[in-house]
Amino acid sequence: MNALPDRYDTADELVLRAPSDGRTLAQRLSKRYAARITGAFVVPGRKGSFAPLPEDLPPALATALRSRGIEQLYSHQAQAWAASQAGEHVAVVTPTASGKSLCYTLPVITAAMANRAKALYLFPTKALAQDQVAELLELNNAGELGVKAFTFDGDTPGDARQAIRLHGDIVVSNPDMLHQAILPHHTKWAQFFENLRYVVIDEVHTYRGVFGSHVANVIRRLKRVCAFYGVTPQFILCSATIGNPHEHAEALIEDAVTAITESGAPTGDQHVLLWNPPVVNPDLGLRASARSQTNRIARLAIKSGMKTLVFAQSRSMVEVLTKYLKDVFDHDPRKPPRIRAYRGGYLPKERRAAERAMRAGSIDGIVSTSALELGVDIGSLDVVVLNGYPGSVAATWQRFGRAGRRQQSALGVLVASSHPLDQYLVRHPEFFQGATPEHARIQPDQPLILLDHIRCAAFELPFNGDEMFGTEVATPWLEVLGEEGVLHREGERWEWIADSYPAIAVSLRSVADGNFVVVDRTDGRQTIIAEVDYSAAAVTLYEGAIHMIQSTPYQVERLDWEGRKAYVTRTQVDYYTDAIDYTRLKVLDCFDSSHAGAGEAHHGEVHVVRHVPGYKKIRFYSHENIGYGPVNLPDQELHTTAVWWQLPQAVLDAVFEQRQQALDGFLGAANALHLVATVAVMAEARDLQKSVGSGDGAWFVSADRQGRGQLRGTDGQPAALAADAPFTPTVYLYDAFPGGIGHSEPLFQRREDLIAQSVSLIERCDCRAGCPACVGPVLAADEHAAEARSADPQNEAAEAGTPKVLALRVLALLVAL
Amino acid sequence: MSPLHARLRQLRTQAGHPQLTSPLATARAGCGVATAKDHTLANTSLSPEVRRLLQRHAHLKRGPAYLASTDRDVPGIELSPGLRYTETCVDWLKPPVIIDAGFARVKPVHHQRLLHFDTETTGLAGGTGTRAFMIGAADWVDGRFRIRQLTITSMAAEAAMLRTFAAWVGDDSVLVSYNGKCYDAPLLATRYRLARLANPLLGLAHIDLLHPVRRHWKGQWENCRLATAERQLLGVVREDDLPGSEAPAAWLTYLRGGAAKNLRRVAAHNAQDLKSLAGVLLRMAGMV
Repeated sequence: MNALPDRYDTADELVLRAPSDGRTLAQRLSKRYAARITGAFVVPGRKGSFAPLPEDLPPALATALRSRGIEQLYSHQAQAWAASQAGEHVAVVTPTASGKSLCYTLPVITAAMANRAKALYLFPTKALAQDQVAELLELNNAGELGVKAFTFDGDTPGDARQAIRLHGDIVVSNPDMLHQAILPHHTKWAQFFENLRYVVIDEVHTYRGVFGSHVANVIRRLKRVCAFYGVTPQFILCSATIGNPHEHAEALIEDAVTAITESGAPTGDQHVLLWNPPVVNPDLGLRASARSQTNRIARLAIKSGMKTLVFAQSRSMVEVLTKYLKDVFDHDPRKPPRIRAYRGGYLPKERRAAERAMRAGSIDGIVSTSALELGVDIGSLDVVVLNGYPGSVAATWQRFGRAGRRQQSALGVLVASSHPLDQYLVRHPEFFQGATPEHARIQPDQPLILLDHIRCAAFELPFNGDEMFGTEVATPWLEVLGEEGVLHREGERWEWIADSYPAIAVSLRSVADGNFVVVDRTDGRQTIIAEVDYSAAAVTLYEGAIHMIQSTPYQVERLDWEGRKAYVTRTQVDYYTDAIDYTRLKVLDCFDSSHAGAGEAHHGEVHVVRHVPGYKKIRFYSHENIGYGPVNLPDQELHTTAVWWQLPQAVLDAVFEQRQQALDGFLGAANALHLVATVAVMAEARDLQKSVGSGDGAWFVSADRQGRGQLRGTDGQPAALAADAPFTPTVYLYDAFPGGIGHSEPLFQRREDLIAQSVSLIERCDCRAGCPACVGPVLAADEHAAEARSADPQNEAAEAGTPKVLALRVLALLVAL
Repeated sequence: MSPLHARLRQLRTQAGHPQLTSPLATARAGCGVATAKDHTLANTSLSPEVRRLLQRHAHLKRGPAYLASTDRDVPGIELSPGLRYTETCVDWLKPPVIIDAGFARVKPVHHQRLLHFDTETTGLAGGTGTRAFMIGAADWVDGRFRIRQLTITSMAAEAAMLRTFAAWVGDDSVLVSYNGKCYDAPLLATRYRLARLANPLLGLAHIDLLHPVRRHWKGQWENCRLATAERQLLGVVREDDLPGSEAPAAWLTYLRGGAAKNLRRVAAHNAQDLKSLAGVLLRMAGMV
């Protein structure tokens, strides 16, 4: 039964005789491994579309460009130039390596040369900021343009800061520095702000969810400070391909934006293969590891003479894959290495060396984490292999986009891991083909985030009268801050009065500052290795929990709830832990409702009480439940927004013989809906939660030790429902942040789509009775029932009761008529 | 407590934020000012309709209640609404005509050009949210030591205070301070910038006594604070001195309608600082 890795020699038959292109390799792989390839498609290449260098470009800049080999522009660069010269805010949405940076470099340098106008660049990471400055300096030196560009980040020494404030034409920083260091000290930057003409924000697709909502508020504060200095800078934003780049750019800066979405950069055909490792244990739905498959594909590609980039999800996986490839290609120490690793945690010098070696073409294979996903320049590549789904369709395309610069066909292969999300996506090739990647959502008016930034804004400049902050009148928020004692009201003016520096207490990466830090005590040292949101702490940091960081398991030894610390040590275990989560929801307010098949879908505000009585130990890969542990933590309460589905009692009674079956069906449906919804709103799985209960909070359902739905009362104790009691099971998907972060509204908009996708997810799952990739954990009893059924096709009763069937029955009732 | 406040407090607690302390709200509840009606709205949803309702509601509300005190006496004359001014002349040390400021790496300077200054501020957090509520400045006039102090009793008077102080600074003034280069001068620069006024201190010579004191006595004294320097060098022992760290609370209490007692003590503290500045300067100049 084992279809474990083929032997080297059979694989090597596929090695291409002559160095070739992605198309040929894609064809050979498709032929040989047809069973593993769940999707194959081609994104056709494009001829380049060019435009001459604009005539209004300063001659010195044009000369500098020519000396760097740039004789003409791509059409999108010319469009960006025209729009910026017309005074519009611009959003450039083109693929990786399409020359995005020239779109902002040209107007910025021109303005700096003409009237010493200043520009602020914001990048999400320091490494990108440094790359950008290096690029600017090269261009500047090429033409002796006299434009000064500096990075300004946490590493900038104190004595250099003054010079940068006064003399920097282009200051390259990140949103956190703008928030904590620049805006609260804006008077020191007065000269800079008075001459600020452009604000460039690159990689705006990374500003979504909580982080994006914070950044939108930082931009509100930036505009407010700019207004004080009498300037209204133009924004130039750049984004990788997402579903709603134009809308997202406008949401971030709250102004009309001209979107440029057609890239003029030439590309070759892009061949894409979705690859699912072969099933090695059909009962458990267990597949061969993604690692073995990735290794095989990369080996083939490199042997065929193709420059190959492998993306791995963790640093340790980078090292493992690098070792495997080096074992094959770098066994002769006298020769220069052909394989390199690239990841965060290396010194900048090492990374620069790797980049140079890649550009020079002396490296044949590079293994990287997401560090290479954003704009770092490494030259031409032929093949990209993703070891596991990177978490979003947009990121998948961005990584694939690393290959194919040479205007010849390139190949991208996504190798699915055993993770449920991977398994879902690899079975839905249309998700990638449909060319509608995820939408980036932000919720700048999330009450806690808004309050934090009005607080910071009041520190920066007093509020006056009915001043607006973003789309809200600030007054009620100012009153709250006044009652808190940090603001003082005098007439129509609200002034900061407290002896504190509010920006320090506001992290752009979380909703409030109740975060837990994870402290590693391995080897007697105390190192902070991670931060966990307060709302996730109870389900991830209980004592005994296995906490995975970069796929290294750590065990929580002690949880200091009041001190917001979890002490962990590195460990070697073959299981992970899963909190048993008794969540009760009560609907407080319904914002919107609609029919959903025989039932109804709603969107509104809910009150959530979450109790974690213990946790399960689950073995890796097989997902067997191998033990339990107790948890003793206070209940969590949450007011948030949710979307939920309900079926009337009469319908359920008609379709299900027993109520137990309906409950099991709802649990399975919840699991599938949660999986599908997480993908739909580009959320982290923990930011969106699921629950099954009654509509009125009287009872809820959790999976018992057999994986069956167990009804529990408000006290968390198992309960039975009286035969005449109302029975309206409800499946909820709710936002895991107090006040919500805007996930549930788009989910309500896409409610029909979600149900349809959940149905197809379960129907297409390869498991027999149910598995974590569809309706939830493996249920041994149901496995046996399903086996009995396949052994004896007459035994219909056995299959009729599997969680898969029950979940599909619930979902079928909710499918729009 | 306003409904929005109650709502936010609830959300913040749920997000793991430590409990909000609201001294004003507590005080008001104690005075029976808080209304029971406020709480009926506290659990309403965040729908846009309710949000607008809250805003209208908040709009109609009065500002926060004050802990009224009868002791509201801030010394001095009122130059303009909210700006108090005091001036005293003391017979203090006898300065030489030309002061040798070589110890501070400044050329010899006529004593009448010296402008000693010290600010009292709302805190040490720095950035644009910290302000000076009192500026003290002292100079030698006809051999006597003139101490002038400006105190604001309202936020709105800040610009007037900054203008008045600017008028005291001459083109050839030499500033004297203790840690003023790093603290008072940049803070005032920020305040002038926010008030859209020219910064009068820009480009002036500045003798910051902290640095020469450190060079001489670091390691010999327990610290190099001004209070230590004045005790060691001038034998000054302060009585009933309000610690500088309590200055922000003193002003805030007054601003919110509370007693002025501690604010007067801040002024006394500030005046002593100015005298000690002159004393330490002359002492160090005489040592060369």
